[in-house]
Amino acid sequence: MATRAIEIPAARWVFTKGMFWQNLVLLVTAVFVLIPLVFLVLGSFSTARLPTEFSLEKMGLENYAAVWLDPGTYRLFYNTAVYVGGATAIGITTAAILAWLVERTNMPGKIWLYAGIPMTLAVPGLLQAMAWVLLLSPRAGFINRWLMDLFDTTTPFINIYTLGGMAAIEGLRLVPTAFLMLVPLLRSMDPSLEEAAAVSGAPPHSMLRKITLGLMVPGIAAVTIYQAMTALEVFEIPGVLGMPVGLHVFATKIYAILQSNEVLPVFGQANALGMLYLLIGLTAAGFYWYLIRRSERYTVVTGKGYRPRVLDLGKWRWPALGLVFLFLFLSIGLPFLVMLYTSLVPFLQPPSWAVLSKLTWEHYELVFGYPKFERTFWNTVIMVVATATATCIASFFISLVIVRTKFWGRRTLDQIAFVPHAIPGIVAGIAFLWLFLNIDMFGTITSIVIGFTVGFIAYGTRAMNAAILQIHKDLEEAAGVSGAPPWRTMIRVFFPLMLPTFIGLWIWVVLLAVRIAGLPLVLYEGPKNQVLAVLIWNMWDEGDIEAVGAIGVLLMTSLFVLVLMLRFIGFGRGVVQSR
Amino acid sequence: MITIKDLHVRYETDEGAVHAVRGISLEVKEGEFYTLLGPSGCGKTTTLRALAGLERPTSGEIAIDGEPVYSSSRGVHVPPYKRPIGMVFQSYAIWPHMNVFENVAFPLREMGRKVSREDMRRRVRAALDLVQLKDLEDRPAPFLSGGQQQRLALARALVKEPKVLLLDEPLSNLDAKLREDTRIELRDLVKRLGITTVYVTHDQLEALTMADKVAVMELGTIIQESSPLDIYQHPDNRFVAGFIGQSNFLDGKVAATRAGNGMGVVETAFGALKCHLANGLSPGDPVTIAVRPEDVLLSVEAGPGADNLVEGEIATVVFLGESQECMVRLGQNVVRFKVHPTTSVARGQAVKLSLTPDKCRALAR
Repeated sequence: MATRAIEIPAARWVFTKGMFWQNLVLLVTAVFVLIPLVFLVLGSFSTARLPTEFSLEKMGLENYAAVWLDPGTYRLFYNTAVYVGGATAIGITTAAILAWLVERTNMPGKIWLYAGIPMTLAVPGLLQAMAWVLLLSPRAGFINRWLMDLFDTTTPFINIYTLGGMAAIEGLRLVPTAFLMLVPLLRSMDPSLEEAAAVSGAPPHSMLRKITLGLMVPGIAAVTIYQAMTALEVFEIPGVLGMPVGLHVFATKIYAILQSNEVLPVFGQANALGMLYLLIGLTAAGFYWYLIRRSERYTVVTGKGYRPRVLDLGKWRWPALGLVFLFLFLSIGLPFLVMLYTSLVPFLQPPSWAVLSKLTWEHYELVFGYPKFERTFWNTVIMVVATATATCIASFFISLVIVRTKFWGRRTLDQIAFVPHAIPGIVAGIAFLWLFLNIDMFGTITSIVIGFTVGFIAYGTRAMNAAILQIHKDLEEAAGVSGAPPWRTMIRVFFPLMLPTFIGLWIWVVLLAVRIAGLPLVLYEGPKNQVLAVLIWNMWDEGDIEAVGAIGVLLMTSLFVLVLMLRFIGFGRGVVQSR
Repeated sequence: MITIKDLHVRYETDEGAVHAVRGISLEVKEGEFYTLLGPSGCGKTTTLRALAGLERPTSGEIAIDGEPVYSSSRGVHVPPYKRPIGMVFQSYAIWPHMNVFENVAFPLREMGRKVSREDMRRRVRAALDLVQLKDLEDRPAPFLSGGQQQRLALARALVKEPKVLLLDEPLSNLDAKLREDTRIELRDLVKRLGITTVYVTHDQLEALTMADKVAVMELGTIIQESSPLDIYQHPDNRFVAGFIGQSNFLDGKVAATRAGNGMGVVETAFGALKCHLANGLSPGDPVTIAVRPEDVLLSVEAGPGADNLVEGEIATVVFLGESQECMVRLGQNVVRFKVHPTTSVARGQAVKLSLTPDKCRALAR
């Protein structure tokens, strides 16, 4: 039976007359995704002093010349490559070991890892990086201080403000997603493929190399590229661990250009650099798509529940579990404890027995006393609620057109909706900066909402596409022949079945929107549109560390609750994988 | 009860336009069990969906109980929820977010205030009782077995006592044993209720055992419509003969026609055979003779006076338990037939076969 979409009640109800609605959805999506990019490109050629003074007469290649003639740019390539490469290597290796332990060995306590991995979602990168600074900064880091006292020396042991430090922390943060992507790869491998090699005369090592690894190569390559894209895109980690000492990668350099205090920011140059950054991002994305298509051809992932052979670890079972707990402690426990400690001490100092008796709530009281905290808090609430709601609604309509209609442009729409995925957050930030400056919307909460929503529809439409596809059209047609008019079918069958996806996506977007600092920092003008991530960033900058601790603890606690809710409604691993 | 006139359904797919139904006309009487039978892609499901209103035809007329529900000439298209129908889907389409009771109550709830609370409870219970699911009322729908889901779907289709029951391959997702039992049960049930039923299937056995009338479809048209017995015994063409039951096909040429009883003689590479000639055949026409395996006998078993004898050599013998299946090569053709397991037959053995003359049907080629 050929797939047809025209006769589906729900879709027909929304799109009754002709193609009007479909065209509208395509047009609106295209405007919101492509217009900022147009500004990004035009801005990169603009030689005007300010984005608002943009005119077609003042165009040229000066910005590109400045970027390419600056030796710093080449340093940027090197830094970014080392940081991304290191983070990806650390992340994939750790994730592969963990995935192998839970899927192919008899390690005890596997449930701890499955339960713990999603919890890492509750620890924002910003706070994770700051916690590690508190532990490992060369002069004041608790661990460094301990070690220096212990060995009676003044040279710090570990410096977190290095490419290695950035790579290690970002690597740690890549593990959960990489793990969730690798597990199905291991799980779905048909053991008979390996057994066929064995009975064909291949000894175990040869089987492992030629069959097991051979089958997994395309999948692992795709996961690796995906993780590299994430590391490339992230602003918070290099922002906290590199920027203070002038160690720049693409994301932080662009932000630094915009923030330069000495002279007027060279907006055009930020754009020109952003174009380069975007190009790298798009190349990686293109490569990723190519790999995905190729790996689909292997059809290793068949979706059947195989029972792969399990390796007996023997006495190594418990050390293996220890490794799992170490990972979970470093990813979740430690940052939380560091923030908790920081928020309770009267002033920042390394932990000691003496300080434990002087713990105080004063920073919490102080934070709640700040008028700007209250403002920021409500800004954040409004921003995340609006972003999550807008993302859900926009993704729903886009996916409805993509999955349920015969609209001529539904493939184009699908691609346009996915484009934001390949755009690094900071680049999206400057693209929107130009747009909003020119339409006089800069400095509003709405601007952040729009920026985030456009970024999140890439994930949103993936989740919605899958959910709508899963609702077999028979379920709606059965309601039709049972006497339910289309609008009743929508209310009684379609929406109830979509509800878990709506709630799941909504919480998921809240989780992301509240933690990402890059885009709101670029679009930030003042208290009017300051959100929590920006407040944390600014307070950290001003040295108000204890207050950062207090806000961090409150934020992480609420995020833990949200993650638990997400678990409760069982919102797809599939979406978790997309970030 | 149901009248369809010159129905055409065309639709666009990603692969191009499809002309799924090409001018179907049919009539289903009240209380009749009518089956649309054909291979996948023959347009049977599309016809059923057009009848349900789930598919908008390109042209034609459809009336249920005298009321036009679709008419291209008068521009009528009654949506599915306003048609007096109940339907069971191939996938059953049980709503996973409702329990058994709510699934069955759905059609009644959609009738609004017309059904009182007690009335609804009573009718849902009655429907569940009918399909023997009475004790499962509160069970969430996803926790039902395949057979239970199928019966739940049936209860849901019957609960509002529709004038017409539409069944889209309702047994194809059941395992073989269950399918066999359900066939009889389902037919008994709808016959007891006296409800007019349109049944779509690709399984000829289902069609033969359940239907009052079978319409065999191919490439969007009905090529033969009759009672199961008639269609089995008197297939009009080679497709029907091959699709319903097994048939042996032998090529030949009409040598002579005999007026009256419709019999004639067909000349083949292995001799002249007496056959039942399809209408409109005249001497010289190329034909295919269709003969069922059960109408092919070993001449020793057929006894003296056996007619239509052909000679050949047994090419294969397959032991099937209750019988042995033999294949005999006759020129370009192979004739299959079954013999009792105790009959001694062996590969390479020369045999004489009798093809029962009035069971041989010469069909136009």
